[in-house]
Amino acid sequence: MNGNFQKDCFEILKLRLERGEIGRRDFLKGLAMIGALPLALRSGALTAQEKQFVLVNWGGDAIKAFDEAFAKPFAAESGYNVKIDGAGPTEGAIQAQVESGKVSWDVVDADIFSAETLGRKGFLQKIDFNTVKKENILEGGWNDYAVAAYYLSYVLVYDKKKYGDNPPKTWADFFDVEKFPGKRTMYKWMVGNLEAALLADGVAPDKLYPLDVDRAFAKIKAFMPNIVSFWGSGAESQQLMLDGEASMGLLWNTRAKLIDQDTDGDITYSFNEGFLGPSCWAIMAKNPAGPEAANAFIASAQDPQRQIKLLELLGNSPANPKAAPLVPEELKRFDCTQPEFVKVQHQLDQTWYVDHYSATLDKFLTLIST
Amino acid sequence: MSKRRIIEWCVFIAPLPLLLVAAYLLPLLGIFRWSFTSPTPGFGNYTQIFTDPAIHGILLRSLRICLVVTVISVMLAYLIAYHWVFGPPWRQRIIEICVLIPFWISVLIRAFGWLIILRPRGLMNEWLMSAGLIGEPLALVRNEVGVVIGMVHFMVPFAIFPLVAVMRQIDPRVMAAARGLGAGPIRRFFEVFLPLSMPGVVGAFFIVFIFALGFFITPAILGGGRVVMIAEYVFLQMSQTANWGLGAALSVVLLIFVSIMMWVLLKVIRVERLVR
Repeated sequence: MNGNFQKDCFEILKLRLERGEIGRRDFLKGLAMIGALPLALRSGALTAQEKQFVLVNWGGDAIKAFDEAFAKPFAAESGYNVKIDGAGPTEGAIQAQVESGKVSWDVVDADIFSAETLGRKGFLQKIDFNTVKKENILEGGWNDYAVAAYYLSYVLVYDKKKYGDNPPKTWADFFDVEKFPGKRTMYKWMVGNLEAALLADGVAPDKLYPLDVDRAFAKIKAFMPNIVSFWGSGAESQQLMLDGEASMGLLWNTRAKLIDQDTDGDITYSFNEGFLGPSCWAIMAKNPAGPEAANAFIASAQDPQRQIKLLELLGNSPANPKAAPLVPEELKRFDCTQPEFVKVQHQLDQTWYVDHYSATLDKFLTLIST
Repeated sequence: MSKRRIIEWCVFIAPLPLLLVAAYLLPLLGIFRWSFTSPTPGFGNYTQIFTDPAIHGILLRSLRICLVVTVISVMLAYLIAYHWVFGPPWRQRIIEICVLIPFWISVLIRAFGWLIILRPRGLMNEWLMSAGLIGEPLALVRNEVGVVIGMVHFMVPFAIFPLVAVMRQIDPRVMAAARGLGAGPIRRFFEVFLPLSMPGVVGAFFIVFIFALGFFITPAILGGGRVVMIAEYVFLQMSQTANWGLGAALSVVLLIFVSIMMWVLLKVIRVERLVR
């Protein structure tokens, strides 16, 4: 018997199973007779009738990491066939999907302030805080429509070889090209830049919000000649630092970790004055698996071990304060939610972003492109 | 119309216009509707476009970059097209290969290619520095210069094709006659050849300009985040800030602008035909 024939027999059996002409048991018997069980397992024919649960994130390495850390354990305990879609749940995409009336996503990875905006417009469901426990989230990591899934930080990355014994420590140093010569790179989508500019301009950390946008813009505008590029994606920021195009940058701590590891610490970072913020789980309005499943998933993802797994795989830090002491020693220096690092960082004020993000981003892009 | 003709029409011709209506016209009307209804009904989005200096800045920059790119592309294309049509066969073959092969390479790959060549520690700066021509790396990329280089590279073939088509139609006997009547090479070019090739120049100009207006990837990669052009701005409104009404209104403005240009283009070409 050759493989092609086997495949054909399998196709026939599968078709008959789908049409309901034969039962599952007969299907399996048939498969065993033609020796095609491995084929069936690969094709997913056996699981096709199971309940689906779709988790949406931003793609890339995060697909595998989310699968390992959250999807597989949840699938095992709930019986759902959890699929990860890396399509990127932008505000526009979420809105489009709900408006089209055909929602195929269940839980998405969203910014906490976007979730608030979208939730108010009815595109997301409220979180059920009976199932999802607030004590398992760092203070400030939730609102009605979102629960912190993991934390990240905007940190100062610098070329240690260039600055030697006197590394930059603060955003004031970042904006000081006299003392610290070299090109800089900042974040194209604005978050963290205005805060950094204001701190460098002498604003007290507890007076940061509401952000003095004009003052921050003036500071950044004057600094523009020293900025080689505004990075739009993590990969781009990494390339800019590794190639030496920039000697200092405002980067995500997850990329900073990779750069640090790739260069054996020649290009490194510190959490001092980093800007700490959560990325959140949010539940799509009218999600196909239903609100119970979605909340159950979020609750399951609060498990400290699963969050530590994500830290290990991707560098995203646990959102559950109970995870911090359990983090293995060698990972602790990459974890922005370790209490000693939280103390030296500033929390991004998400409520400010809810009301001001889009209008300010428009102005920011105009500023940097003149 | 006979019954058979009607059947033929329905089966063979109707699917195409129907497809266009379903896949193109209806969504377009949807965009049109959003521009007036989202977030609130009225002309708010258009008022914003006409009054918001932030948008004016982006529109003006887009137009300026497109104009520069178009002028450079058409001039380069004119030279290349001339050699493609009148050069010796070996030169024609080299030009053909050099134009067509990059033409088929993805815009993304070309943008990254330019990044590698032009960045501060890229090939170009390394060569110039090792040759001792410059002391400091030049800022060739992550600014408007980089965007213009990348866009020109992409656009030149689009300008070459209409120019070649027109130049091939020019009767060589006209040039011979001009020479016979005593016109020198410069005069022959400016008074005979250039006017005859003008329809190609105008066509190339409009094609490149209209195409350049919609450019997105090249400015995003080579502009270093700082050269936000109109297409990227529309994308931003749609995906990043979910400001669909404004994005739609900008698209409509752009569509109207391009339509006017197309109309002018058709007019010009028709006039030329009448003259001939």
